[in-house]
Amino acid sequence: MRNLPIALTCGEPAGIGVELAHKAWQSLRHELSFFWIGDPRHLDQYLPFKTISKPLDARDVMPEALPVLEHRFETKVTFGCPDVANSQGVINVIEKAVDLIRDKQASSLCTLPIHKQALKDGADFQYPGHTEFLAFLAGVDHVVMMLSGPNLKVVPATIHIPLRDVPDALNTVELEKTISIVRKALIEKFSISDPRIAVAGLNPHAGESGKFGQEELTVIMPVIQKLQAKHWRVTGPNSADTLFYKAAREKYDVAIAMYHDQALIPIKTLDFDAGVNVTLGLPFVRTSPDHGTALDIAGKGIANPTSTIEALQLAARLSSQE
Amino acid sequence: MLKQRQLEENFIAMSRQKIAIVPGDPSGIGPEIVAKLLTQDGVKDAADILLIGDSHLWERGAKQANTEIELATITEDQTAHFTGCAHLNMHSIDPKDVKVAKVTVASGTSALRCLDKAMDLAVAGHVDCILFAPFNKAAMTSAGLKAEDEHRYMARYLGFRGYHSEINVLDDLMTTRVTSHIGLKDVAANIDEQGILRAVQLAEQTLRRAGKTRPSIAVAALNPHAGDNGKFGREEIDIIEPAIRFCQSKQINVSGPWPSDTVFLKAKRGEVDAVVTMYHDQGQIAIKLLGFERGVTVAGGLPLPIATPAHGTAFDIAGQNQANASAIRQAFDLLLRMAKTHSETSERRSKSDPIYAEGNNSVTW
Repeated sequence: MRNLPIALTCGEPAGIGVELAHKAWQSLRHELSFFWIGDPRHLDQYLPFKTISKPLDARDVMPEALPVLEHRFETKVTFGCPDVANSQGVINVIEKAVDLIRDKQASSLCTLPIHKQALKDGADFQYPGHTEFLAFLAGVDHVVMMLSGPNLKVVPATIHIPLRDVPDALNTVELEKTISIVRKALIEKFSISDPRIAVAGLNPHAGESGKFGQEELTVIMPVIQKLQAKHWRVTGPNSADTLFYKAAREKYDVAIAMYHDQALIPIKTLDFDAGVNVTLGLPFVRTSPDHGTALDIAGKGIANPTSTIEALQLAARLSSQE
Repeated sequence: MLKQRQLEENFIAMSRQKIAIVPGDPSGIGPEIVAKLLTQDGVKDAADILLIGDSHLWERGAKQANTEIELATITEDQTAHFTGCAHLNMHSIDPKDVKVAKVTVASGTSALRCLDKAMDLAVAGHVDCILFAPFNKAAMTSAGLKAEDEHRYMARYLGFRGYHSEINVLDDLMTTRVTSHIGLKDVAANIDEQGILRAVQLAEQTLRRAGKTRPSIAVAALNPHAGDNGKFGREEIDIIEPAIRFCQSKQINVSGPWPSDTVFLKAKRGEVDAVVTMYHDQGQIAIKLLGFERGVTVAGGLPLPIATPAHGTAFDIAGQNQANASAIRQAFDLLLRMAKTHSETSERRSKSDPIYAEGNNSVTW
């Protein structure tokens, strides 16, 4: 897998994706190879790009131009205004990337942000996001989203659901699966031999022995105890508010959060530009920048490529472990 | 000429704020950090300080901090006119009952007695504000504390029936919350417009008291991505947005609902003075992450400025001269700013503050 290029999907063409692809290419052209899948008409025509016929050619093209595997869309784009006519194209690009990885033509997947509403309106896309769609394409039922930054790795046990639905969505079976997937990935992909996993509580002060909620006692604690019995280095439930400051972060390799913002508040507050989203539990490596399509600044040349660059670097590093 | 100088000196002395400091839980790091605070530059010059607590506690703290303390002990009658750094002795705990890093009935009783005395003197007008070193809730509960926490206890003790709530402060950022110590499953059901309005008002009022003339307040959303137009929850649309519009109609400089994973970046960049959060950990995760050693907790809404370092009694390092006094210093400085505004505006307040002009007196000093 080491020598195969990474597949970078274009995402929403009216967003900042095309700009990020070019900026990431400029920064990484001599470091690793990837190819962008999308419609060349959407790219900045004044910047160097070159259409390739097969992914393997990306390596030779990479030093001179952004390698592009063409996928024709319905129409051109106006930055900031997603066109529903292009929605099917966005979806097909993702499917194509997964096929290429399956055919061993690409090492791993890095996805640029999609616009969920446009996909829903234009192509009846029913998935809450990339993560769930990729799980479907790969035929797996449980995937895990991990946010990885220079200062923190954190996994939300529940993702895109209303806060009021979080307590009911938590259960011992899913939580155990999540932690198991995370641990396996840290060992196999991140080369951490015996990962230290810190599990957050759900409630304030981790429930303070049941005073502010029972989930620590009924869901989180039993899972931790079961995994500790296997001699896994799992701790918790930890009070979420004291789990993320510097001295606390040094005591674990990954934190397991119970809901989206419990994970996202610390990672974004710490590493706003450099956070990367990694999907664990898929049969291949998938990373993405941890921001959205940023329609408001699309086409202006001011998008920050740090997260995309880090996502590509991480994809390269993780797939080299295979 | 001499008379003129005398007058000026008296004037300066009169305009200095009077701050009461209580040692908190005797088993923890409280006495030690107060001793450290008193050795810091600019502390003793900044205010008239009244240490309220047993002399052996202060001496123990000084010893733990490897420093010395001079206690200028005065009688309770003299507290009406004290200046400089004075000490009101208490007999709240027998020296032999002080057990480092232990939860005891005696330590809880001591903490509460000193706090009570500070509140008595504040009500009598002898001090302007109260700084308390960390309490241990279990110790206070074992000593008979019935209230859920010290904030409610203080409100009750002061006979204050209006809205009050803990406020978390880190440097120039303040957070208030709509819900606090309740299970996460109960959060959504407890978010209502009235609660948001109160939390916004409390932030606005406290910021004004801390000297901000037109505070800017961001309201956090409840759901991931602020609900993403109702896809992941409707509280933003049904409750939070209308509440924000109402506050805006009252000329409060408030915005939102902002996704909670980026709202603290706004604060970090100095774009807002306060974030109103929907639940406990939403604000606490960010604020503790951004400055665990410097956080301050203000007893928001109470009729006089009361604050404490955000950290706890730190039993793990108690008595070892390892405690960091930067949070208590932040609390000290903030209290003096609040007390100053308090004394300058206490008579004009009812007319100048838009909230009060509306006839809403749910929050008063």
